[in-house]
Amino acid sequence: MRITIPHLGNVYLAVKILFDSLGLDYVIPPLNSREALSLGSKYSPEEICLPFKLMVGNYIAGVESGADTVLLVGSCGPCRFGEYPELQIRIMKQLGYDVDFIVLDPVQSIGLNELFKRIRKVGLESGKSALSKIGSVFLAYNAMRLIDEIEASAHAIAGYETNPGEAKNLLSSCKKEVFSCSDPVKAVKILNQYRNRIKTIPADYSKKPLKIAVMGEIYTVIEPFSNLYIEDILMDMGVSTVRRLTPTWWLKDMLLKTINLNSRELLKASNEFLPLYIGGHARECIGEAVLAAKEQMDGAIQIFPMGCMPEIVSKSILPSIAQKKKLPVLSLVVDEMTGEAGYLTRIEAFLDLLERRREHVCTRC
Amino acid sequence: MRIGIPKGLLYYRYHAFFETFFSELGSEIIVSEQTNKDILDMGVQFCVDEACLPVKVFHGHAASIKDRCDYLIIPRIMSICKKEYICPKFCGLPEMIIHSIPSVPKVSVDPLYMRNDKELFKWCLSAGSAVTRDSAAIKKAFVSAKKAQKKSRTGIIEPGRRLTVMLAGHPYVVNDDYLNMGIFNKLRAKGIGIITEEFVSDGETREEVKRLVKKPFWTFQRRIFGAACVLIKKNLINGIIYLSSFACGIDSVIIDLIRHFVGDFPMLVIKLDEHTGEAGVDTRVEAFIDMLERRVLNENYNPSPRECVLSGQNPV
Ligand code: SF4
Ligand code: SF4
Repeated sequence: MRITIPHLGNVYLAVKILFDSLGLDYVIPPLNSREALSLGSKYSPEEICLPFKLMVGNYIAGVESGADTVLLVGSCGPCRFGEYPELQIRIMKQLGYDVDFIVLDPVQSIGLNELFKRIRKVGLESGKSALSKIGSVFLAYNAMRLIDEIEASAHAIAGYETNPGEAKNLLSSCKKEVFSCSDPVKAVKILNQYRNRIKTIPADYSKKPLKIAVMGEIYTVIEPFSNLYIEDILMDMGVSTVRRLTPTWWLKDMLLKTINLNSRELLKASNEFLPLYIGGHARECIGEAVLAAKEQMDGAIQIFPMGCMPEIVSKSILPSIAQKKKLPVLSLVVDEMTGEAGYLTRIEAFLDLLERRREHVCTRC
Repeated sequence: MRIGIPKGLLYYRYHAFFETFFSELGSEIIVSEQTNKDILDMGVQFCVDEACLPVKVFHGHAASIKDRCDYLIIPRIMSICKKEYICPKFCGLPEMIIHSIPSVPKVSVDPLYMRNDKELFKWCLSAGSAVTRDSAAIKKAFVSAKKAQKKSRTGIIEPGRRLTVMLAGHPYVVNDDYLNMGIFNKLRAKGIGIITEEFVSDGETREEVKRLVKKPFWTFQRRIFGAACVLIKKNLINGIIYLSSFACGIDSVIIDLIRHFVGDFPMLVIKLDEHTGEAGVDTRVEAFIDMLERRVLNENYNPSPRECVLSGQNPV
């Protein structure tokens, strides 16, 4: 069995550590790119959301380099993500690829037994003992947490650093180094080092950079290619960004959902505007906007794929939050046609607005 | 108390329920007009750009009556069948309306589960409390509303002279004469038989979707896909005309499923948004019908619509 996975931000790094440590055979498809997208769009239904197309692109690339099993997480909510596997399995079959799909659905929808059965399918391949398997899972989880933390620090410090670009460079060399390291324990060590290094980047905290929350549909905020590397763009512009939705957040959310203790803070914040769960991560998006206002951030950027149903609901609520809580919000819709130039112009215009707004507020008081 | 009911989305399925319930309670009911250009324009003006046509039109309906009523019924229909959903937009509908249309009156915000009497009654208690405090009256109105709903039918079945097509799509597109561009009359004028998803029983569609890897999430995905397969299998239709909405995530999945499972069975997909021109649609429908006729002539492929069994559905 040779496993491949679809991309989602930095998850591939943690998965690599997991598989290396379990001693499994795997293929990580090349990072998302125009090619993956055009490959995926060619074989996907035209109007399906962007994440679907990119994932299909990843599967094809993975299978072409020898994988025979696709491992992915599913969900059963009122949104399309739950329908993905059904369509994707058929697309791959139609293309004549002989691949197995192992879909890890949440416990609530398939039951614990079925979930274990599916996990065991992967686990059996590994020659390790049960105990060391558990160790591997923890190692990988730890790695994911570290990567998310490093990334968050880089995004936060970008507005303050003395030598512009340092955080971004450090972040990218971190990813490269971890990816090229095939010893899982060493990889986690590298991550630990980087975490410390990124925290000690020379920074000038008397600066007052713009602070922006990045929120929206989970895949498009986490996967940098799908949002045209918005966080990198903002780092280059010396803006500090905060994003709550991370793979670690998602994992915790999935686990805690079983006992209804998930993302308390966000859900509470969203109550005033959207008191019910409607699918996707619309409530989280609303909650994030409310919290961003509370934390006196300068603005928020919502990103979602064309046709994303839950985020369309959030988008219609956001203007009210913007007005009531005085938080400027920019909504960016991405699909395979999104042009870089127009996209950049909109971000720049938004940042200008935030700057001007700030001056205005300052001169006033 | 004037109760406003927008004539959009699942109004087409559940109007009997809502109308009976509130009229039994003695309130005046204001239903918006049949969809028209003004309503569409208003919807486009108020609703977020990215939304689908039916949701935009619903905004138009709500806006058109908001000043004439004291209480707007914006049903937050979470689910109409057990363990199935409809669409995320339905779940957030009251919020969309409240935050997009200025100065709306009081709006019903409680979630609605149509297949669950207990939950449904809860909704009625809360919505009814806006009209009366008398819970016995609410109970009574609830019972008659359910009765009325049981009797109501949507969808169309009409035998044709030679050809029969299935008109597929969400009921609020198929049954709205403005959104469907008067397609009923056009087909009727040509002597084409029509059948809609409603005339295949729930049981049959459930049987049909068993061959999918995953159980469908969405009621209309199961219904439309299942109905299309059943009708084709029973040889009751010559073709499918699918009325879909741009930016409808669910339509895109259903169409893909049908395409995949029925192979080269003739299907015309018409995508609707506020810019769709009627002339263009007419041409495409005509070309499609011509193609079907040629197929019948050449292949002697002739289904008989009369065999079709009418099955009751629509119960709440
Ligand atoms: S949340 Fe949006 S992007 Fe995700 S599956 Fe649903 S429609 Fe697609
Ligand atoms: S099911 Fe499709 S057409 Fe209906 S509201 Fe949802 S997105 Fe719109």
